Amino acid sequence: MLKKKICMVGQFGVGKTSLVRRFVDSIFDERYLTTIGVKIDRKDVSVDGKSLTLMLWDLAGEDDLAQLNVSHLRGASGYILVADGCRASTLEKAAELQQRITQTLGPIPFVLVVNKADLRDQWEVQSSQVAQYGWPTFETSAKAGSGVEEMFLGLAAILIRSHAASEAPGQ
Amino acid sequence: MPTDGAAKRPAADDQPLAELRAILLGPDRAAWESMRQRLDNPSRRAEDVASVLAEAVRLRSDAKLRRALQPLLEEALQLSVQSNPRMLADALFPIFGKAIRKAITAELDGMLQSLSHTLEQRFSWRSLRWRWESIRTGKPYAEIVLLRSLLYRVEQVFLIHRKTGLLLQHAATDAAETKDPEMVSGMLTAIQDFVRDSVSVAEGENLETVRMGDIGMVLTYGPDAILSGFVRGVAPRNLSRVFQDTLDTIEREKAEALHSFTGETSEFDSCRPRLEACLAGQGKPGERKATSRMAGALLFGLPALVIIALAGWWIYSAAVERRWSNFAHRLSSEPGIVLTSFEKRGGTHYLAGLRDPLAADPAALLYAEGLPSDKVTFHFEEYHSLQPSFAAQRRLVELKEELQRRAFRFPTGSSAIPPEQRFLLDDVAAQILSLIKAASALGRTIQIEVRGNHDPAGTEQLNSMLARSRAQNVEAALISLGVPAARLAAVPEDKERETCAAVKEEERLFCRSASFRVIGVP
Ligand SMILES: Nc1nc2c(ncn2[C@@H]2O[C@H](COP(=O)(O)OP(=O)(O)OP(=O)(O)O)[C@@H](O)[C@H]2O)c(=O)[nH]1
Ligand SMILES: [Mg+2]
Repeated sequence: MLKKKICMVGQFGVGKTSLVRRFVDSIFDERYLTTIGVKIDRKDVSVDGKSLTLMLWDLAGEDDLAQLNVSHLRGASGYILVADGCRASTLEKAAELQQRITQTLGPIPFVLVVNKADLRDQWEVQSSQVAQYGWPTFETSAKAGSGVEEMFLGLAAILIRSHAASEAPGQ
Repeated sequence: MPTDGAAKRPAADDQPLAELRAILLGPDRAAWESMRQRLDNPSRRAEDVASVLAEAVRLRSDAKLRRALQPLLEEALQLSVQSNPRMLADALFPIFGKAIRKAITAELDGMLQSLSHTLEQRFSWRSLRWRWESIRTGKPYAEIVLLRSLLYRVEQVFLIHRKTGLLLQHAATDAAETKDPEMVSGMLTAIQDFVRDSVSVAEGENLETVRMGDIGMVLTYGPDAILSGFVRGVAPRNLSRVFQDTLDTIEREKAEALHSFTGETSEFDSCRPRLEACLAGQGKPGERKATSRMAGALLFGLPALVIIALAGWWIYSAAVERRWSNFAHRLSSEPGIVLTSFEKRGGTHYLAGLRDPLAADPAALLYAEGLPSDKVTFHFEEYHSLQPSFAAQRRLVELKEELQRRAFRFPTGSSAIPPEQRFLLDDVAAQILSLIKAASALGRTIQIEVRGNHDPAGTEQLNSMLARSRAQNVEAALISLGVPAARLAAVPEDKERETCAAVKEEERLFCRSASFRVIGVP
């Protein structure tokens, strides 16, 4: 049985908790209940005929008062950087977080997610801005459910591949 | 390569060659010279080696170098310990001191726990039941105790990878209500992070207990894994030791797998029996509270009761003793009593000394104090106290007795004081006056009866009249001599008749008399 720890990071209110709920429980809630500390969920997935248990650590988003709790990132195999398409600042924040995490954990797999695709007409974030980073990127809507599964499974596939590479003989 | 010897002895015909050589090899010669000096000079050589030693060791960090260094290091350590053991002790103290303290604390806790447990078992009704069961079934008592007295239950055991918080292995009893153990394991790790971030804890300190209602957690830590269990009831302290031992074994057996863990947990399936072995505990956890209260009562209540009883007894007997010594004090301050000894033998108090017959009665004083008469023995020798009040009292008694020995005699049929007895009147009057004076000095008011007597001859009527007038005549004579009339009372004394009936005629004279009786003097 293969298990991986994955962290959801990003500024407050970008939709980290909503994405996890959509993926794990297939539900969405308009209400905003900010996450305090961390909330852990689990989802078993199967990619390329390989099963994997994702332990999803939904971390409290950063704001001016609270900083990301880096100790919760310890041991993560990958992470999901979430930005809110309606707020350009959240993308900058995501890029900043990516740097900090790389400094702390070293280069580990991650994907960038621009959420709230159902509100695309209100987006401040331009595709060109996203593309400049050259990271694997997904556009999702936790509300509509679009792109969510693809995003999680996409990261799972990256993890499985990197796991296989690390297990391969000669390494 | 040219040698120094050759350089020092150039032959005269070699001169041009030497010059050529000097031209060709001059600069190199200087370099060789400097190299030669470096090689010949041991301190220079040491400097050179020192400057590259660290790098050289780093480059050769393989088993060969380690093997080469091992005996040297061992010997050096041994020498160092022998010559200056303190240095090594100081260096190791921060590591060992803490570990030793922890081990001792755990051991003591365990001991206390088992002491209270043993007490519980010794003194309860349950233990009697178990003894009976042991006799009945032929099983050893210890086995029955073990079977019946485990008051906790480990319901779930989690083996968690420390760094990732991922669940490596899990075991649960059938009865356990199992939430998703994967999430539990993650949350447990998150809680650790939370505690660690919230309060500044020293390196190596870990969250050791979590408790909610009846459920508690055992948490033990290894370098790469955490072994944790949900325990219903109150687990004995040594349960942590069982967990720690299990974890140590797993860490040892799976050191490599744990260290390089990347998410594959099937590697740890073989640890499951070890986890299942930790699902210990039987009995009803609910009973624990009552029994531990009982153990507490036995452990602390019984000695406390004994202490209270002893203290109560001590206070009570001190109060009783104080009453006895107060009584002895009072006796010794009583006029006419000299207390020479006061002691307690067995349960009886002995009071001994001297006592004037006129002094207060110790038994009466004892009664007035409310002390038990069966707990005392008095031994008082009689003596006459020189106390003025006692002397005066004694004098009063003497005067009384003297007066009561006086009498006036009368001829047959006469009540007039015969002239030959008149001279006695002054004497008796003076005696009565000093008696009155002595009595009033002691605060007493006395009364003197003048009693008239008669002999048996003659009629009763006549005799009665004779007796009365004899008393009255003496009374009147005494009043005329200054004795206050209020202190005198003339009374006929008919009772004398019977006494006088027996005597002979010549003795009857003594029956025809007037005598005195003093009233008011003891
Ligand atoms: N329209 C729309 N709203 C969304 C979407 N995702 C989340 N939301 C809303 O955005 C708000 C914040 O969502 P959360 O999932 O709680 O955000 P979060 O990143 O977990 O926030 P923190 O826990 O505070 O860091 C909620 O009111 C959600 O309903 C989405 O895809 N579309
Ligand atoms: Mg949230």
